[in-house]
Amino acid sequence: MPESLSFDAGKSEVLEFEVENVRYEYDRIPALQGLSLRVRAGECIALLGANGSGKSTLLRLMDALYFACKGTLRFRGTALTEAAMEDDAFALGFRRRVGLVFQNPDIQLFNPTVFDEVAFGPLQLGWPRAEILERVHATLAWIGAEHLKDRAPYRLSGGEKKRVALASVIVLDPDVLLLDEPTAALDPRSQSQVIDLMESWNNGKKTIITATHQLEILGEISRRAIVLEHGVVVADASPDEILANTELLESANLIHSHRHLHGGLTHKHTSPYLRHEHRKPD
Amino acid sequence: MHIPDGYLSPSSCAVMYAASAPCWWQALRRTRRKLFGRTLPLLSLFAAFSFVIMMFNLPLPGGTTGHAVGVAVAAIVLGPWASMLAISLALAIQALFFGDGGITTLGANCFNMAIAGSFAAWGIYQLVSLGAAPDSRRRIVAAALAGYGAVNLSALLAAIEFGVQPMLFRDVTGAPLYAPYPLSIAIPAMMAGHLTIAGAAEAVMSAGLFSFLRSNEPALVGITSMPVQAASPTPRRLWGALGVVLLLTPLGILAGGTAWGEWAPQDFSDAAARARIAAASGQSAPPVAAPSGLARLASLWTAPLPDYAPHFVKSAAFGYLLSAMFGVGMILAVTWILRRAMQYANQRSRQ
Amino acid sequence: MSTNVFAKTVRGFTSALERTLVSEITAHESGLLQSLDPRVKLVGLLALVVAAALSRKLAVTAALFALGVVLALASRIALWSLAKRVWVVVFAFTFMIAAPALFLTPGQVLYSLPFGGLTLTSQGLRSTVLLIARVETAVTLSTLLVLTTPWMHLLKALRTLMVPVEIIALLAMTHRYAVLLMETANSMFESRQSRLVGRLNGHEHRHLMVNTGGVLLSKTLDLGNQVFLSMQARGFRGEVYLLNDFRLRGWDYVAMSGFAVAATAAVLAGR
Repeated sequence: MPESLSFDAGKSEVLEFEVENVRYEYDRIPALQGLSLRVRAGECIALLGANGSGKSTLLRLMDALYFACKGTLRFRGTALTEAAMEDDAFALGFRRRVGLVFQNPDIQLFNPTVFDEVAFGPLQLGWPRAEILERVHATLAWIGAEHLKDRAPYRLSGGEKKRVALASVIVLDPDVLLLDEPTAALDPRSQSQVIDLMESWNNGKKTIITATHQLEILGEISRRAIVLEHGVVVADASPDEILANTELLESANLIHSHRHLHGGLTHKHTSPYLRHEHRKPD
Repeated sequence: MHIPDGYLSPSSCAVMYAASAPCWWQALRRTRRKLFGRTLPLLSLFAAFSFVIMMFNLPLPGGTTGHAVGVAVAAIVLGPWASMLAISLALAIQALFFGDGGITTLGANCFNMAIAGSFAAWGIYQLVSLGAAPDSRRRIVAAALAGYGAVNLSALLAAIEFGVQPMLFRDVTGAPLYAPYPLSIAIPAMMAGHLTIAGAAEAVMSAGLFSFLRSNEPALVGITSMPVQAASPTPRRLWGALGVVLLLTPLGILAGGTAWGEWAPQDFSDAAARARIAAASGQSAPPVAAPSGLARLASLWTAPLPDYAPHFVKSAAFGYLLSAMFGVGMILAVTWILRRAMQYANQRSRQ
Repeated sequence: MSTNVFAKTVRGFTSALERTLVSEITAHESGLLQSLDPRVKLVGLLALVVAAALSRKLAVTAALFALGVVLALASRIALWSLAKRVWVVVFAFTFMIAAPALFLTPGQVLYSLPFGGLTLTSQGLRSTVLLIARVETAVTLSTLLVLTTPWMHLLKALRTLMVPVEIIALLAMTHRYAVLLMETANSMFESRQSRLVGRLNGHEHRHLMVNTGGVLLSKTLDLGNQVFLSMQARGFRGEVYLLNDFRLRGWDYVAMSGFAVAATAAVLAGR
């Protein structure tokens, strides 16, 4: 409910997620193989990994869309199981506090207009009508998309789609935001717009977990970076440390060293992103 | 075979809406109960798929092209109830937002294509594939026959709806007010196009999509059925249901049969005129051959009849009607024989 | 017919996509029908369509058609676009179907053709003209509805016809993904065409077409599962809720009575 906007997040000692030895398989093909992870409230985490490393699966498990085959995954002490999600009160409380933005906005934007899209979540949670209208308008104004409100999703540009998808989740003002490749396939301007939105919304109080394989945004979106490979955590450190570890990045298939021929001389370089470090002052 | 606005009288439209409504209601109730919401996106997506597949131009042997509806695949994957909703949705979107097919005739179109089509496709598929191994060829044949049968049943129903219009709705001078052709013309003209082109398109598309799904998404069409699918009914009940459909078709026509007398037989025995009618009423299926095959069947029927037989039995119209029925019956018979033969083969191979 | 089939299919997609765009533009013009509450417009235009379907008199059908033309003009819909999109197409189609009835309907002979023993009857003529006029009128009126109403308003207005809320949600989603799948299919065909070397025979063509359908179908199913997840993620529990904010204004009541009078008059006069 909107009244509970100040849900007890923000205290860094509160454990938001406890992932213990979680295993998940699609048709006997393992995606996560005994993955463990702890997420404290207020952390900004980047989940790094190549395609197929298990990032998206982990996010879906954290959003209680999939359920662990083995191991447990707790949100604020409660195990996320199918049985727990069948309880309406718990499920709606959870959905209100944890939001997931999908990678493909065509999946996320299933409503006929932008306005309906943003109003979908609040409607499902049974907010009062006046409240919904107000929140939806405020959120649309915040993403700078008021003029799009009657637009059909297929009439939006890629960047607009992404922003509307973000708005459709943020309208609920969740405590935890899970983002699956929020900036993939966006032009640089849309990319920085999305990152700015995430930063302005976060304000240091929210927990944000971003799955990405784009190293250049790492510094802006995270204070902690976790590298996944074949469904397990292979590194968990600060973004700077991760970016400095070329060997790790290469083995996790996040950078790819290649040779160029310049006037008869060969030279090797890894990623241009490594030199591209600008962190915002905290 | 979308019936546009204006071809059916408002009362016929109302009757068809009334016939569709309980099916929709039942379908909604069943899918709602079974799936707790997962159907919602799946149904929409399938409807959207059917909408798009209707726009595919499918090249057919003989140089023509046809369109498929996708009803057989929908029925096989979703089961008949969810399938009828999905196809109805596709038709509704066409009528409401793209202006294809009428709004007043939406009930009739949904009844013919979505409701009767889904049941027929599902029934035929279940019958022919009964006991077949998941990877057997028989299942592909079953899917093709399901599409073929469904489309032809839909066409026959549409033809009947057209054909009863001039019997029931005329002005004082006797001029037909709505679709002008009697059953004796509407049925052969409609069936000629569907027994050949539209039926072939649907059969090809159904078989192709089915075998594609079987190799790529085996869970959807194999033995492990989707949660949406109803449990397979007993074959006896299936045959019973198909039999009832077959019986009802001519009974409905015979009830209004007197109107035939008013039509001079030479009108439709004239080859040129008949060709024109066939071409014209074949609707969306473009070049339609003259129903010469049907005519031959018709004469086959009337020829051995003694002179003292009732007049209407000898009429060419009755012959056409019977040949249309014969078409449906033949599908069922082939279905049955195939199934028997394959069961026999299976038993032999197991021994 | 080598690239013909692809080209024809792609043209179909393009024109359907174009139509959705055109309706979106005309629906936001400031005209008479656009200014009405969608529920009033839906019920009113449907009443006129039914009146057209009921009419047994050519004059009444013609009057309803004229009313459609006036409404189109008052709603800033270019008549030539209506002619191109509706009148010509409907005429060609209906005439093709109805033409044989000119000669096949028994009745009073007006004219005997010098060949084939065909006779044009007055009943046949009446029947054909009435059919064409009726179909033109009905399709014109229902096209006006599509052209002047943002389609999601039209959708929500269906609530007034007691369409269940689930069906409305299903229709909304179907339309949305139909557009997406059309775009997907379109780009699949285009990429196929760009890689097509040499001519294909009928069988190969058929194979390509069916395979494209198969790929599209598996994309469809995948999309269906994903969309369900994304609905769940935002609290979908199997219940559908819609936000309606239509409010009838004075003008709508005037229009409502206008539609009622016109439809009733047409029904009474057309008997």
